[in-house]
Order: sequence, then C-alpha cells, then structure tokens
Amino acid sequence: MLRAIRFIVDLFTQRHGIVAFVFFLVLGLLMRQSPTPIRESIVSTAVSTLYFPAQRIVSAVGHYKALAEENEQLKEENARLRQETYHAREGLQELARLHTLVRFDDKWDFPIVTARVIGHNPGRFLTTMVINRGSEHGVKENMPVFSMNGLVGKISKASMTHSRVQLLVDPNLKLSVMDRRTRVVGFLESMDGVRLTALVPTHAGVHAGDTLVTSGLGGIFPKGIPVGTVKDVRKSDLDVMRQMEVEPFQDFSILEEVFVMEKEPDWLIKELLDE
Amino acid sequence: MNNLGWLKIFILFVIVYALQMTVADLLSFFDIAPDFVIIFIVTVAIRRGPTAGCFWGFVAGFTQDVYAPIEWLGANTIAMTVLGFAVGQLEERFLSLNLPAKVGVLGLGFFVCDMIYFAITGLSKDVVTNLFLTKSLPECLYTMLIGGIFFYLDLGSKKKKHA
Repeated sequence: MLRAIRFIVDLFTQRHGIVAFVFFLVLGLLMRQSPTPIRESIVSTAVSTLYFPAQRIVSAVGHYKALAEENEQLKEENARLRQETYHAREGLQELARLHTLVRFDDKWDFPIVTARVIGHNPGRFLTTMVINRGSEHGVKENMPVFSMNGLVGKISKASMTHSRVQLLVDPNLKLSVMDRRTRVVGFLESMDGVRLTALVPTHAGVHAGDTLVTSGLGGIFPKGIPVGTVKDVRKSDLDVMRQMEVEPFQDFSILEEVFVMEKEPDWLIKELLDE
Repeated sequence: MNNLGWLKIFILFVIVYALQMTVADLLSFFDIAPDFVIIFIVTVAIRRGPTAGCFWGFVAGFTQDVYAPIEWLGANTIAMTVLGFAVGQLEERFLSLNLPAKVGVLGLGFFVCDMIYFAITGLSKDVVTNLFLTKSLPECLYTMLIGGIFFYLDLGSKKKKHA
C-alpha cells in the first residue's frame, strides 16, 4: 500500500511535473468539454461541500467580529448620545431607512426575504455571489434579487440553505429595461463581465443621465426596479439602435445584504415573448 | 515536499483568497485592482517547482471557476494550471530568477493567463481588445508592482525548495 502511494507521488513529482501537468490539464479540459448538467453538478457539489462551509465559517467569524466591534461602538455611541441632541436625528434617519424598505415591500406586493452575502467570486470578474438563504427560506430559481439601491440580479441556483445569485454583469443575463423619462424599452446585458451595456432604439432620444428601470417584460423582474443610469451613449453597428454604457445603482463588490423578491417567473409572458 | 510544506501553502492559499476578497478592493482605483492569486501561483511555482505550481494553479483556478458563469467552467482552471507549470519549468530548467526577472515572469504570466482565459471563453475580438487595454494591461502593471514589493520583502532571501 505504502509502495503504491510512493509510486503515485513519484509519478507526479518526477519528470519535472509533466505527468501532474498533463493530469490537471486533462481534468480542466474535461470540465470545459462536459455538458451543462454535469458542469452544474460539479459547481453545486464544490460549492456545497467545499466552498460554502468554508465561506460560511469565514463569514461567521467576520460577522461575530463585526458584531463585537459594533457592540463596542454602540456602547460608546449610547453614552455620547445621552449627552447630545443628535439622538433624535439618528432615530429619524433610521426611520427613513426602514420606511424605504417598507415602501419597497408594498410597491410590488411580493414577500421579501432578507439575505446576507456570504461569498463571491474571488477573481477579478465578479459575476456571481452566494447568499445565506435557500429553498428552505422560500428562495427559488429566477427570483429577482435587489438591494436598497437597485437591482442586483436573479437567483441562478437555489440549494437548501444557500443560493447563487447571477449578477447583472454576468454575460449570460439579459433583461428588458425601460428609460424612466422617455418610457422607451430596450435591453441590458454585459458583454465582457465587467460593464453593463444597454441597447435602445435611436429615435427614442435617450441621453446620458437618464435612469433605467426594469420594464416588466420577460416575466422574471417586475416593472420599475431601478437598474442604473446611462453614462455614455455611442452608436452601435445597427443604425436603428444606440448602444449605451450603464452605471448600475448598486456597486456589486461592496454588497453585504440583499433582498430576494419571492416572485415566481411569469412563464406565459416569457413564452409569448420567445415566440 | 513534506506535509508541513503543503499545509503552509494551503494556509497561504486561504490568506491570499481572503486578501483578494478584501484588501484588493481597498487597493483598487478606477476599478483596477491587483491580482494576489496570480502572485501566489507564480510564487509557489518559483519556490516549489512545476508540480506544486500546476497543482496550486489548478486549485486556485477551479476556485475562481466555481463562482464564474457556468459556461466558462474550466477556463480559469486551465489558464492557471498552465501558468503554474510554465513558471515552475522556467525556474527549474532554465533560470535562477533574480528580482527583476521574477517581476518580469509575473507580468508575462499574468498576460499569458489572461490570453488563455479570453481564448477559452470565446469572447469576441472587440471585447477582448477592450478588456485587454482597459483591464488586463493596467491590472498586470499593478500586480507586477505589488508582486515586486512582495518578492523584494520575502523571496530574495529564501532558498528554493522543489517538490
């Protein structure tokens, strides 16, 4: 047994690591060539068994550390607030924040699940994140995800205790948007996984500074969720369409908490549009 | 490499990912951030040889692929495995790298890694050109700067240990 292990280790380490290199390269190529269900299975297994528990521990440690720090700060603040009239203003600000959340809840008439971001892509192309709410909390695939600032993305995979969120900058996520001022409908996508680009008809007169919201078409996102502002308008290859760079309202790299709207996709609308 | 060596690298790997998810954002300006993961792979490959280089390249790449779009699964894995192996080979067979050479290899590795990644993901030529000029190139230079500081502080004084 020991000899067999020694043999395998030697095989990998001798010959300048060529055997190891070929082995890992073939593994990578197999992953690359495998069909989508198998890729889904690889990613789900890896996230559930390896990365989610690790990130949960790291996140929990960070959370408790943050709570301890917050506790200290609150104690200090409490003492200070006893002596200052600033107390009232703080309370009003908190009330306003909660009021915004309540309005968010009322506006679309769907229950909302609050979730904490516990993991995201550690690479330079941030397209996916993991939240600590899953199917046991009512979260399902294709439910819209948003923050206080605006739309974040949608649930791409819901496991029992956690879910993956496909962010707006994921090149595979395309959604229908509407210019709030002109009411013209276009669509939004990210071609490179970094920037958001909207395509709207040229005649519509959309210009930099306009606000884009979800149009409600497509059956996944309800109408009126703020998406971002038009930053730069440029001509596209098609004369009838204008391509514009969009600055999302939410910076995805600093997200800590998100809200999942318990809205099931309206498949009838989606099928009609697909036809 | 003994078990303690692997454990040390594993701990370093965890620290590097923690840095990438926290400090990299703080160090970023105009959306340009250093890539600690590539510095890690190049460092491991230089110090531990091609076997460890391609293994940790595989692990680091797969970790990034897990959170990337499902259609691109394997792209980071392949790119970083190649990077780890190539840098390990370069150090082991051809050169004993001094500080400027290490920084040069880091920059070249960064560039090659991104090119392999772009090629595998099948992005269009225009998108790749744009990404190269606005993201890869500035981030490569930034990573070389951070890597250079790291190599200066740590690597120059230590003896290489091959797998």
